[in-house]
Amino acid sequence: MLFRQAGIFHTNYAADRALFPIAADRWMIGILLAFGFAAPLLVNSLYLSSYLLPWLIWTAGALGLNLILGWAGQFHLGYAAVMGIGAYATVHATRAGIPWEIAIVLGGSTAAIIGIGFAFAALRVKGLYLALSTLALQFVMDWVISHVPAISGGTQATLQAPDIRLLGQPITSDAGLYYVALVWCILVTSFMLNLRRTALGRALIAVREKDFAAAVIGVNSFYFKLVAFSTSSFIGGVTGAILIGTFYHAVTPEQFSVDVSIQALAMVIVGGLGSIIGSYFGAAFILLMPGAMNSLISWAAIRFGFSLSIETLAHLPQALYGALIIGFLLIEPLGLGKIYNNVRDYLLVWPFGYVKK
Amino acid sequence: MAFAAESAGPVLQCQSVERRFGGIVALNGIDMQIERGEIFGLVGPNGCGKTTLTNAITGFYPPQRGRILLNGRDITGLAPHYIATLGVARTFQNLALFNGMSVLDNILLGRHIHMKPGVARTALYWWLARPDETVNRAAVEDVIDFLQLEGVRDELVDGIPIGLKKRVELARALAAEPSFLILDEPMAGMNQEEKEYMARFILDARDERGVTVLLIEHHMDVITGICDRMLALNYGAMIGSGIPADVVADPRVVEAYIGGAHAAR
Ligand SMILES: Nc1ncnc2c1ncn2[C@@H]1O[C@H](COP(=O)(O)OP(=O)(O)O)[C@@H](O)[C@H]1O
Ligand SMILES: [Mg+2]
Repeated sequence: MLFRQAGIFHTNYAADRALFPIAADRWMIGILLAFGFAAPLLVNSLYLSSYLLPWLIWTAGALGLNLILGWAGQFHLGYAAVMGIGAYATVHATRAGIPWEIAIVLGGSTAAIIGIGFAFAALRVKGLYLALSTLALQFVMDWVISHVPAISGGTQATLQAPDIRLLGQPITSDAGLYYVALVWCILVTSFMLNLRRTALGRALIAVREKDFAAAVIGVNSFYFKLVAFSTSSFIGGVTGAILIGTFYHAVTPEQFSVDVSIQALAMVIVGGLGSIIGSYFGAAFILLMPGAMNSLISWAAIRFGFSLSIETLAHLPQALYGALIIGFLLIEPLGLGKIYNNVRDYLLVWPFGYVKK
Repeated sequence: MAFAAESAGPVLQCQSVERRFGGIVALNGIDMQIERGEIFGLVGPNGCGKTTLTNAITGFYPPQRGRILLNGRDITGLAPHYIATLGVARTFQNLALFNGMSVLDNILLGRHIHMKPGVARTALYWWLARPDETVNRAAVEDVIDFLQLEGVRDELVDGIPIGLKKRVELARALAAEPSFLILDEPMAGMNQEEKEYMARFILDARDERGVTVLLIEHHMDVITGICDRMLALNYGAMIGSGIPADVVADPRVVEAYIGGAHAAR
């Protein structure tokens, strides 16, 4: 049908490693990219800046977390803290007059350096212990940010973020901010796509799958875990800075609290560990679901004429949302990305379903 | 193709290697010397310390006493990933492929020590990584060709039969172009035809690719058939070494193997 592998013959190794060897995939990506760039013309600005923009930013964040979780196989419960470090560093740098382009790189690097320093200590333990020590990173960062006035601007403070400026031009329009998020998301996505076909990506998977077998082929697990931690922290730091610059416009400690870490984790897990398209689905799911649940319940309450106490109304969406995640993981532990792949594999051979892919 | 072959001297020397696990003496004073271009057999009943010796050489369980030299260089106590970069490759008794990856990617991982994995190279794949990936892919295709794995190149490694998995693991080891290759029971669980194929591959690997091989094997016919020299272990101690025909005729080896029924007591 749409997807056809028949008739694709590679004549060199580079072509065999092309990102999208199947024509239908290239078409789809092309159309999505075109839509992405034309979105400010097609979508009204409320949707653009309150749905598409955060979705793109959170997708980039989820991809960064997926790098450490899905590729290198190391748990990280403090990803929001890493994003927060990048955000605060960037805001302070821009307030000090450093151009924004340089400030986000500084923010990302600060996150990467703190991430690596922390990983040096944390990576001496594995599995659940590592997960717990990353949670410690979260709490330490929370504490430091809120207790050091030089960082947070005082307790309970909100620190205004200066407008984003690119090459000296202030970016304030909805479309301009959206494009900043879009470009970042595309950059992170292309990095992750390349990871699938380079020695670095393979080494990370080797570390995740069997560290003794990785050692035997010369992979230094500790080094590659550090690389994964620092790279994912860099992505997280820049993402945090862009989230503040394009969406929140001011930074407070709660924006990067432990709940947010859990939310990022949920995006990656619901989307699918190690799945790139899954991170897009996961971010959308986690961002949209609470709102959708709310509307669904209020609609049902009116339609079927039952009334709920304020208390129940506040908690019901949360409970449904939790149940939905559990349900997902029971039915498809590899997440939405896997469901997408199943459909794609089916279409790849349709209507000859008996053909093995 | 270039082989990492230092010209003279033995490839591997073990000098009074001893390894204990708590009270168990798994290796007791092992002296072994493997010459360049040899296929060296290591036999012994289950639990006699063959895998432990492999783990001592590759750095997983460094010996508590004794020395191990590779190409004349002392490698005792070095980290496993570092020993790999010195030209030692191995396969595992219980398979250690990377699940969730294709056969091709598994073998490409064998090229790790020849590649330069990095973040910048990944980000700028088109300019910085593609030439490196292509050159190494060509080397991998050589090995795929050599071990006749073309048919399963793009299959996930999880789903292929065990005989092929063993062959993929050999391919991954050979892709590293090692000077010294350790095969830990590569024919376990294979039928006669698969065993013959594997024996052929081992001989060809030595003849065509210049690797020196340490072969751990249960089947005596394989050892006498393809090994130049051999060592027999029992309870962590050496009970015989030399030309296979002589060693298998040694009463102590016969006793360890057949359990004393045929040995004059
Ligand atoms: N990690 C370990 N911890 C404790 N004992 C071990 C360990 N590895 C091997 N041994 C013991 O060392 C002895 C040799 O085992 P091994 O080298 O696996 O034998 P084989 O010759 O069958 O490969 C056995 O008695 C085994 O129980
Ligand atoms: Mg063994």
